[in-house]
Amino acid sequence: MEEKTNSVSPAGLDEAVAFDCSHYVRLSGRQWLIVAAALLALVGLGPLIWDRIDGFNPGNDYRVPYELSSDYWLYHRFCHRACEQGRILVVGDSVVWGHYVEADQTLSHYLNELSGSDRFANLGADGTHPAALQGLLKYYGSDISGRTVLLHLNPLWMSSSKHDLQTTKEFRFNHPELVPQFVPKIPCYKAPLAARIRIAVRRQMPFAGWVSHMRAAYFQNMDLAAWTIAHPYDCPITAMGQKLPEPRAPERPPQVSQFPREPKKQDMAWVDLEGSLQWRFFRQAVQLLQERGNTVFVLVGPFNEHMLTDQNRLVYGKLKEGIEAWMQENDIPYLVPSALPSDCYVDASHPPAEGYALLAKTLMESPSFKALMRK
Amino acid sequence: MLFQTLPFLVFFAIVYPIYLLVKGTRLRLPWMLVISYVFYAWLGWRYLIPLAYVTIADYLVTGQMVRSRRPRAWLAVSIANDLGVLVFFKYAGFIADNMNFVLGSLGGSYAIGPVDFLLPAGLSFYILQSIGYTVDVYWGRARRETNFLAYATFISFFPRLLAGPIERANHLLPQLHDNTRVTLRDFTDGLSTFVVGYFKKVALADYLAMYVVRVYGDPGQFRAPALLLATFLFGWQIYFDFSGYTDMARGIARMMGIRLMRNFDNPYLAVSMGDFWKRWHISLSSWFRDYVYIPLGGNRKGKFATYRNVFIAMVLSGLWHGAAWTFVLWGVIHALGNFATRELERTAFYVHRLPRTFKQLFVFMLVTFAWIFFRAGSIGDAWTIVARIFSSGSANPAAPLWALAMIAAVWCYQWLFESRLRWFLELAAVRVLLVISMLAYMILTVPAEGKPFIYMQF
Repeated sequence: MEEKTNSVSPAGLDEAVAFDCSHYVRLSGRQWLIVAAALLALVGLGPLIWDRIDGFNPGNDYRVPYELSSDYWLYHRFCHRACEQGRILVVGDSVVWGHYVEADQTLSHYLNELSGSDRFANLGADGTHPAALQGLLKYYGSDISGRTVLLHLNPLWMSSSKHDLQTTKEFRFNHPELVPQFVPKIPCYKAPLAARIRIAVRRQMPFAGWVSHMRAAYFQNMDLAAWTIAHPYDCPITAMGQKLPEPRAPERPPQVSQFPREPKKQDMAWVDLEGSLQWRFFRQAVQLLQERGNTVFVLVGPFNEHMLTDQNRLVYGKLKEGIEAWMQENDIPYLVPSALPSDCYVDASHPPAEGYALLAKTLMESPSFKALMRK
Repeated sequence: MLFQTLPFLVFFAIVYPIYLLVKGTRLRLPWMLVISYVFYAWLGWRYLIPLAYVTIADYLVTGQMVRSRRPRAWLAVSIANDLGVLVFFKYAGFIADNMNFVLGSLGGSYAIGPVDFLLPAGLSFYILQSIGYTVDVYWGRARRETNFLAYATFISFFPRLLAGPIERANHLLPQLHDNTRVTLRDFTDGLSTFVVGYFKKVALADYLAMYVVRVYGDPGQFRAPALLLATFLFGWQIYFDFSGYTDMARGIARMMGIRLMRNFDNPYLAVSMGDFWKRWHISLSSWFRDYVYIPLGGNRKGKFATYRNVFIAMVLSGLWHGAAWTFVLWGVIHALGNFATRELERTAFYVHRLPRTFKQLFVFMLVTFAWIFFRAGSIGDAWTIVARIFSSGSANPAAPLWALAMIAAVWCYQWLFESRLRWFLELAAVRVLLVISMLAYMILTVPAEGKPFIYMQF
């Protein structure tokens, strides 16, 4: 503490009157323009340059790795490649992706095998319920235009009001970044306004998706700071030289994959189709694909009806009838296959490898699908 | 609303163009006041009540003061009122806890019930500013502001409302009246300062906090290297956090044509504790100097009185930061450090023979040691950390090298800034590259969620 010398003006303020700083970071208007140009170049060119140097080369059975399920930039990139190659896109949730099987045991793999070609591409994404799926297609599937799409509908998403996102109590669901942020309102989605705005803006910026991709692919879904705390002696630049994760089936405890042959019968609280949010979003996804000039074929289920009580199976049957009626009304080719044998399910909706093989065979024998293939 | 968050950027993108439109008109002050209150109410509309109360009370009391034959009485009323508000919201719980402890120690069965008032953000800052204004008016160092809108804006001006700088009447009030022009230089300088603050906060302070929170959250689980490292990192975290806030505040104000006072000046290059306080939270240290230390007699009444006055000012400064004994101890350590470096500065060896870097290191270590008490959750935690630093042995601290490299880069920049090589930092290419690097780094690596500033809690 020093004695002040000026009794009129408190000491220390004279120097503060001038706008001085403890650094020299002051730019003129012209210099700010240079900064803006450099940042625009980074934002615009960064993803493109990375795309060139990264050497992304998906094989026939490629699917977006499970760890990167929320890496929409990678999904978009894969989608772009598949469209470039003129493949039929198999789109859906983890049933299409093949949650319990390896990449060469999925529906698209068996369809390729049966058709004797590599026409089918696995564009499934784990956890993409219809609300998320329509967002995925809307914001990251813009390359899907003038193509043939096999779109899967998993009725599981209508098996309760919670699955249907209709509960008013907030809960964490998959892919909140893909669902509509403002309209229509999703009752269980209560993200703060700032987060919604941020998501809405990010969806329009490929650069933001690329940054998320880098974090997800090379930094274990962490931002740089968190990653360097978790890996204190590793170099982040070296980490970016790693290969992308392989599209393997996720690791899980052994008991999970052992679904009982005779599962306990249960009553599912199927939602009313007319009031279902997920059904509404699924229809929007179909319409969006059609508006983009795609030929859409819808595969419904097959849901594991063996786990339903007789009464509940009737309710589910009515739901299926409603779905079929809409398809017919809108002239959309579809297939609602019968349930697979009970040993062809791992859980309520996911088949094991033999289930996928059987489903592919059913599809290939379906006249409507054959007609699609001939196009 | 935090400066580094999207809601603030949206808020500013809306209010700033309107400000530019009305800046030369009579609507300027009303608009500044409205946006300041909206900014504050965003954190909680209840916060407006004490703010408005302090504003109105001091406005009326200073009016009485300049008219009265007994201005000292009105000054006392104003200070008592302001301190009453501060004590009520900030220290009531602390006082009650300590009274309960004393009563319990004396065997009494009575205990004051839990006192837990909502502490309005920035209360300590605007209370000090208001007291400073009243005292300045009393001493004739500032004119009493007759325009209520100007006075209310002076107290609530949003860039500095939550965590300072604690402005002085004769610095800010004239600008509120006169600075009706905003030049391109104001805008570009303000933007530059804002970006530096933004970088300090989101790329550095929030980053270092990750390590510090983990170690200080459970200090008993960590050994000496981790505790030392966390303390070192906290020293930088709080500097980046608070000076980052200040830079953002000054940048925003500057974009509006208002120059807020400088609050930091590379404090970790200080060569004595006195020097440190001329570089750290300058608006607070100069406030305590002008309104506590000097009125107590300053250094005019001999060595003992000088040290006593320093001690009182430092302890009050500690208590101002928070209602806890850890902050009091922090103030005591700073007072003792001040005594030590004052005495050392009387020796030719310290002044002439000891290299500057050694002095800087010595002061940095003293300041860093004091941070243990500032950051620890309790006195017990602080003692645990100090004891374990000296007794817990060695273990891999998992030191994030990236963080250490960034701190080293900042230290080098500051060292260059104060050296003969500072011309290098003035080069346009260096400045442009620095801004591009900071912005690119933030765009690429920083998460979008904003974390609160440490000093907002004070």
